[in-house]
Amino acid sequence: MMPQIIEADKKMVLVCCGTGCLANGSMEVYQELQQQLANSNVNVSTYTKATGCNGWCEKGPLVKIIPDDITYCQVAAKDVAEVIAKTIGKGELINRLLYRDPKTKQRVKSHHQIDFYKKQHKVALRNIGEIDPASIEDYISRDGYQALNKVLHTMGPGQVVEEVIRSGLRGRGGGGFPTGQKWKACTDVEASVRYIICNGDEGDPGAFMDRSIMEGDPHTVIEGMIIGAYAVEATAGFIYVRDEYSLAVKNLGIAIQDARQKGFLGENILGSRLSFDIEIVRGGGAFVCGEETALMASIEGNVGEPRDKYVYPTEKGLWGQPTVINNVETWANLPVIINDGAEAWASIGTEGSKGTKVFSLVGKVINTGLVEVPMGTTLREIIYEIGGGILNKRKLKAVQTGGPSGGCIPAEMLDMPVDFDSLTAAGSMMGSGGLIVMDDRTCMVEIARYYVNFLAGESCGKCTPCREGLKAMLEILSNFCQGKGSDADLQFLMDTSETMQMMSLCALGRTAANPVLSTLRYFKDEYLAHIHEQHCPAGVCRDLTEFYIDPEPCTGCGLCAQHCPVEAISGEKKEAHVIDQAICIRCGECRNQCKFDAVMIR
Amino acid sequence: MKIMIDQQVLEVNPGVTILEAARQHGIHIPTLCYHEAFGGQGMCRMCMVEVKTSHSRKVVAACTYPVQSGIEVQTSTPEIEKGRRTIVALLYRNAPDSGFMQKLYTDYDCPENGLAVNNGERCILCRLCVRACEEIGSSAISAVLRGTEKRIGTPFDEASAVCIGCAACANICPTEAIAVEQTDQDRTIWNRTFTMVQCRSCGRSFATREQLDYISQKTGLAGLDLEVCDLCRKKKLAAKIEQFAR
Repeated sequence: MMPQIIEADKKMVLVCCGTGCLANGSMEVYQELQQQLANSNVNVSTYTKATGCNGWCEKGPLVKIIPDDITYCQVAAKDVAEVIAKTIGKGELINRLLYRDPKTKQRVKSHHQIDFYKKQHKVALRNIGEIDPASIEDYISRDGYQALNKVLHTMGPGQVVEEVIRSGLRGRGGGGFPTGQKWKACTDVEASVRYIICNGDEGDPGAFMDRSIMEGDPHTVIEGMIIGAYAVEATAGFIYVRDEYSLAVKNLGIAIQDARQKGFLGENILGSRLSFDIEIVRGGGAFVCGEETALMASIEGNVGEPRDKYVYPTEKGLWGQPTVINNVETWANLPVIINDGAEAWASIGTEGSKGTKVFSLVGKVINTGLVEVPMGTTLREIIYEIGGGILNKRKLKAVQTGGPSGGCIPAEMLDMPVDFDSLTAAGSMMGSGGLIVMDDRTCMVEIARYYVNFLAGESCGKCTPCREGLKAMLEILSNFCQGKGSDADLQFLMDTSETMQMMSLCALGRTAANPVLSTLRYFKDEYLAHIHEQHCPAGVCRDLTEFYIDPEPCTGCGLCAQHCPVEAISGEKKEAHVIDQAICIRCGECRNQCKFDAVMIR
Repeated sequence: MKIMIDQQVLEVNPGVTILEAARQHGIHIPTLCYHEAFGGQGMCRMCMVEVKTSHSRKVVAACTYPVQSGIEVQTSTPEIEKGRRTIVALLYRNAPDSGFMQKLYTDYDCPENGLAVNNGERCILCRLCVRACEEIGSSAISAVLRGTEKRIGTPFDEASAVCIGCAACANICPTEAIAVEQTDQDRTIWNRTFTMVQCRSCGRSFATREQLDYISQKTGLAGLDLEVCDLCRKKKLAAKIEQFAR
């Protein structure tokens, strides 16, 4: 059993082993630490722990030392000897490994003092980065399985449902349906067999909220599901997770085993009447299988295609039985709701959207990573305070929310609170919580084309509007990006979008036109420039862009020529340079590199 | 129970879909993927109708939406007609060679658009062929691949071992998209060639050997009894009836 509260003479070193940090070599750091500590003569008793994702992937691998509360960034295996000798042995800080605040230029000792973490409020992510995901004792030491104990021995199933209804929890997977109402609908149906499903088929490009939870704190998901099973009297549960998430599959597998051994899963859980077990189902990576009816078809062994939901899964779900299906993050909130009580949990957030939401903040923002904030936090706070602003001091143009079928919100709406209803009203959606920041060098027509291209490959192809609509939209948008297109095409694009919204079978198809509709709503001028003037104002669409150097601001520094991949730029030192249009491939690298904004587009 | 479709109050049985209720009362709702033998598939979305319940107004697929007491259905609104027109226009791109789709394209007065047309193609992916094959019990074909790549085929496009060459798929296809090459001796369909059997009575080639074997296996009838074509069978039955009537 590992100590959670560190005694004064002992230290604990937490190495972030989330997927981002692992990719940057955190496993070597962890192993090096263990090896060197075993052989070191430092007389401080130290324990090393591999944790889940801390969310600050930009600065990984992260190493935290407690109780000193020191956070080291971008640590490499070669730094380990110094960390042990100086920091663990003598309590000295290694300045070079500390985070340097770009505003104050000061080194910062702990991540707790950094805006990225200060503004966050961790509920679903409360344990991640603090515990070893492979240790059930670690989870238990942080009130793990307390909520389960509470419901089994002090609450009736109906009371649990009521508590969840009172909390106002809405599904974190995208739809935002009230979780408690869903459970109640399931219990209202007469049946001898009911199922619980955890939807871990996170598929949005750039989203990794659910992955981090499954990898970093699998027991909270399992505990949430057992509480759900008790509330709706289910006997079996399934966690549907995409097979690409190998670490999540592994950690969930260990967690289920351990939970069985401790009597949290299986027959007569903790001496109660509840018997319930969980099975992992590995998905093949189809985006559409995140849609609940397609997901259930996939569990049943059929092709992952959705069906009309005029009869809800709570009535006829998996194998025709009443089924409650909730997203990973939703399940992760449940133990907290039970432990702290619905009122306490609901004290944060907005009127219609209670609690917190996890976002994966990516794109042209300084601090990319995983953040959890109260519902109703503004986009400005998330991007500028937590995210630290836009990369390379460029201007923010838009924020894409809600994954591929979400929408683009323009910079003018930055003070909009982020919650289910505001995002929908703005023509986007919460989705599962992707936030992609775009700067002024982003072409919105090209962005729409990118998402439509993704969806065209991921649509299941069952219903006509989604399958054929996406095919047509992709063709029209690709034409626009090449300066081909007419007003009639634009009209047909809008008609197709509306038809898809109204007539598609599932939520994927009904929202698949959002990237087009939202960019048309806020950036129509850009579409018209592509169609009427064969011009891409952002200088992205290659067929419509020509770069030239304005001799006035050009200092002849030669940086553009150095970075040009095709040697299209020439000029004497300290004299204005010139781009040879015949050689130029219009990649825009010169424009990105220029410190004097001398590279222009026409 | 009572429901209302296009301002008409109708008495319908619980459990039926809006489409079935409408057809029973002679009200037309357009469909492409529906067949009375199989029920609704909810795929083509041509049958979308507006439904008003006590608490909501929504657009639903008539072929899969079960009737509820008191609902009011509009089978056609300007928005729905526009949607159907877009669906036809989109499908027509993939099936410009089909007379069926050409007629629909004209009937719906589809708007001009600059989209490419796949000349020579006919399939609109209504999957009636797949359903027919399933019902026969072979399941030799299915919708394969995903998204915009989706098409109908046998596994890996190889000759299917379970196909009996009955051509039910081709017969049910509304756009004549399934190729069947047939002579008196053999029939080639889905990359496999089948030997034809001649009717013992009239000599006409009427079924494949595999088809008759399959029927024999399912019904327990001897192979020889089955080697008479449907027309001759009818004639024989008619003769019997005539005899009986006298």
